[in-house]
Amino acid sequence: MATESSESEEEGKIRGGNDKLNIDDDLREMGKNAAWSVSSCKPGNGVATLRDDNLETYWQSDGLQPHLINIQFQKKVRLQLVFVYVDFKLDESYTPSRISIRAGDGFHNLKEIKSVELVKPTGWVCLSLSGTDPRETFVNTFMLQIAILSNHLNGRDTHIRQIKVYGPRPNPIPRQPFQFTSAEFLTYSTLR
Amino acid sequence: MENLLLNSVEKNLSQFMFTNAIFLCQRLLAQFPSEVNLQLLARCYLSNSQAYSAYYILKGSKMPQSRYLFAFSCFKLDLLGEAETALLPSKEYIEEVPGGAAGHYLLGLIYRYAGRKNSSIQQFRMALSLDPLCWEAYGELCSLGAAEEASTVFSNVSSHCLQKTCVAQKVSFSEGAIIDQLTDSDKASKDARLWQTEDAPGESQQDLKIKQFGPDIPPDTYRQLNNSSHTNVWDLKTPSPVLSQVLDAPPPLLYKNMRRPAVEGLMSVHGESRRKYVSEEMSAEVAEESGRRRSARIAARKKIPISQSFGKDSQWLHLSPSESNYVPSLSSMIGKCKIQSSKEGIPDTVTLNDSATTSDQSISDRGSCVNDDEYSNPNGSSADRFSLVSGISEVLNLLKILGDGHRHLLMYNCQEALLVYQKLSQKQYNTHWVLMQVGKAYFELQDYFNADSVFTLVHQHCSLYRPASISMLLFCFSDFLSLVLKHLKEEMRLGYLAQELISVDRLSPETWCAVGNCYSLRKDHETALKMFQRAIQLNERFTYAHTLCGHEFAALEEFEYAERCYRRALSIDTRHYNAWYGLGMTYLHLEKYEFAQNQFQMALQINPRSSVIMCYSGIALHESKRNDEALKMMEKAIIADTKNPLPKYYKANILANLGDYHKAKKVLEELKDCAPQESSVHALLGKIYKQLKLYDKAVLHFGTALDLNPSPSDAAKIKAYMERLIVPDELETEENL
Repeated sequence: MATESSESEEEGKIRGGNDKLNIDDDLREMGKNAAWSVSSCKPGNGVATLRDDNLETYWQSDGLQPHLINIQFQKKVRLQLVFVYVDFKLDESYTPSRISIRAGDGFHNLKEIKSVELVKPTGWVCLSLSGTDPRETFVNTFMLQIAILSNHLNGRDTHIRQIKVYGPRPNPIPRQPFQFTSAEFLTYSTLR
Repeated sequence: MENLLLNSVEKNLSQFMFTNAIFLCQRLLAQFPSEVNLQLLARCYLSNSQAYSAYYILKGSKMPQSRYLFAFSCFKLDLLGEAETALLPSKEYIEEVPGGAAGHYLLGLIYRYAGRKNSSIQQFRMALSLDPLCWEAYGELCSLGAAEEASTVFSNVSSHCLQKTCVAQKVSFSEGAIIDQLTDSDKASKDARLWQTEDAPGESQQDLKIKQFGPDIPPDTYRQLNNSSHTNVWDLKTPSPVLSQVLDAPPPLLYKNMRRPAVEGLMSVHGESRRKYVSEEMSAEVAEESGRRRSARIAARKKIPISQSFGKDSQWLHLSPSESNYVPSLSSMIGKCKIQSSKEGIPDTVTLNDSATTSDQSISDRGSCVNDDEYSNPNGSSADRFSLVSGISEVLNLLKILGDGHRHLLMYNCQEALLVYQKLSQKQYNTHWVLMQVGKAYFELQDYFNADSVFTLVHQHCSLYRPASISMLLFCFSDFLSLVLKHLKEEMRLGYLAQELISVDRLSPETWCAVGNCYSLRKDHETALKMFQRAIQLNERFTYAHTLCGHEFAALEEFEYAERCYRRALSIDTRHYNAWYGLGMTYLHLEKYEFAQNQFQMALQINPRSSVIMCYSGIALHESKRNDEALKMMEKAIIADTKNPLPKYYKANILANLGDYHKAKKVLEELKDCAPQESSVHALLGKIYKQLKLYDKAVLHFGTALDLNPSPSDAAKIKAYMERLIVPDELETEENL
């Protein structure tokens, strides 16, 4: 994917400027297996623009705040990172400022797991889903909801250009408790 | 005028001036329409890779040679049905397959592509019986899994067969003057015809391949033959300059030749191997029959006598597209000889004979024509006959060894294959084909280090010669080498190899496979997939590319596509056990354990020594709750390959799942010593100790596991386990998490 760099904010600990290419090998994009939906959109700027790998196209909401993006998986998945591409320079008052991430089994029992505030972001913003507990690197959930609570300059609607969701890679060998780390084990673990 | 045109066409063909040849041939055909000239034109077209033109002009022709050429063009155009009818117009006359051994070989290929396995096996066997030096047929039989022991194939029977043909050839030699031979009566022509059918087709087969490859020795031979001062000297360097032609060779054959590259490297385009082989085992008579199939060069030499006897029997002159390469030289030579007086003609004949018959003897003394004179007595003596027999047996012995090795390799008895190949002489062993087979054997044994060293050796060997030979080499084994490197996780080398390959030949599917493996190693599966699909575009029948595609889809978790790719690979080659393995893995991921087990069984039938497949089969059995069988399978795997630590690990896992913690613990303790750096072993041990309520040991092992850099998700898991450990009993601070 492309460039990026945004800036940091205060409390949400959002350092911007994550270079997309620095995704670890052991993470993979999970969004393909999910159903994406939004609370509202302007015609021509619908939910597909969030997943089209095109930073020129954006989703524009068209309703009351909070604006919601729902990501629903068919089974519980472990998720670690959410990347959101927003650009204050281009979108100004449409740029989100407060974002809340909720997780749960469905619409009925979503619970907030992360809340951040962005200040003039330009680029990929990384929202880590691990809790305060350092042992909890992942969140294991059926559904993720990204809520835009407010925008910069008190804008009503919001623009978001791209969203990516990352989780750990599964064990390449099915039904094994742990993954192999040493070279010998790995050489014998597959055939090509 | 007809002769002139004929001669020039043949000359052009032999010197690769195909378009000129086509032009002249069209004039010839227009002026003197005849089936023979038509065949010549078809040969020109085929040499110029215009199979469709050859197809159209030969449609409906009846002469055996035309039918053979027509069938070949159809084959090139993928019109298998028409090719088959051309070769076998009616069901009864099996013997009349035009082209003899080559015709049978072609028919065998057609049947194989069409999926008619038994018919194809039959055809290959016939080809081999007609011409024991039809190595390709044997190779195909091996890969179909239906090859008999090499000793039966390359046996006394075939020795007799070869003798007969050589003797016949010799008889025609002893006729004397060219002119006599040219105007020879039935005897010579009959004899010649006899072995003609056997020889030429056999050669044409190989020649066709050679034609595909491009290298063409005959011109040189011809030239040399004409210079009496260098008559019997093959310019053994000829392959090299010619190699550059190879780069345009169509990929399919390249891949095929990767597996059965050519008779012991003779067929191979590596000058070195040719040189080595030629200097190695040749004796006078060996040249004769080896010439038949081995290399165009040898074929050329052999051809010379043939054409001599036939003179202007153009039908035989135009035996095959590539034969024309040297046959023309012959005919032009004959033409020249005709001009000379008969007296002069004889010496020429004689020298020709000599070169054909004795060149090998003087191979080592490249420039010496001395030997020729000694043997210039055209009266074949009994000494000749004796050396003929010994020559034949030498060749057959060599082929026996190689055939054995090849067969073992394709049956995946890799250890035996390696042993067999050790029996070869040093010179033979160091040829690219053999080394490649050895490398492949190591690869199948999962002995990647050795495979790597062998392939690197070959690579280096090649670096000594022209870049073209590097490319040939790389084509041949790049996919294996790249797989080896991938397994050894050497990204840099793999990247470098891929770059090298792309710069050398972009049109070879192996190149793109190597590049794809690079990307796959870096976990960029989508790009890897694109690369493999390019390889497939270049050659639809490249089984490995399909399997690799399947692997990439599986890595991307798109299991339906993966399955489709694997099945496609299997439709091309049922014995491609990697595809069965891939299917099994896919089903494992999809949790369809019974299906998975079936696939692994099929894979094991083909390659019964693979401990990796046995492991997975065991896992599938365990998941299907057939635990006893699972454990037995793991035992088998442990025995099959002692260097593989995984079966023990899986066994311990199964035992732990079954609740037999003590046994599991024992196995893991052993394993821990063998593989001290493996975090999963410690993690599993930790779990087991926890079950056994030996908490301090459990903590110890979890800690070690964490130290050994597990993947993040595993690290989280292990930490979670440690947490839960502490909760019931101790209150000690476990902050070192």
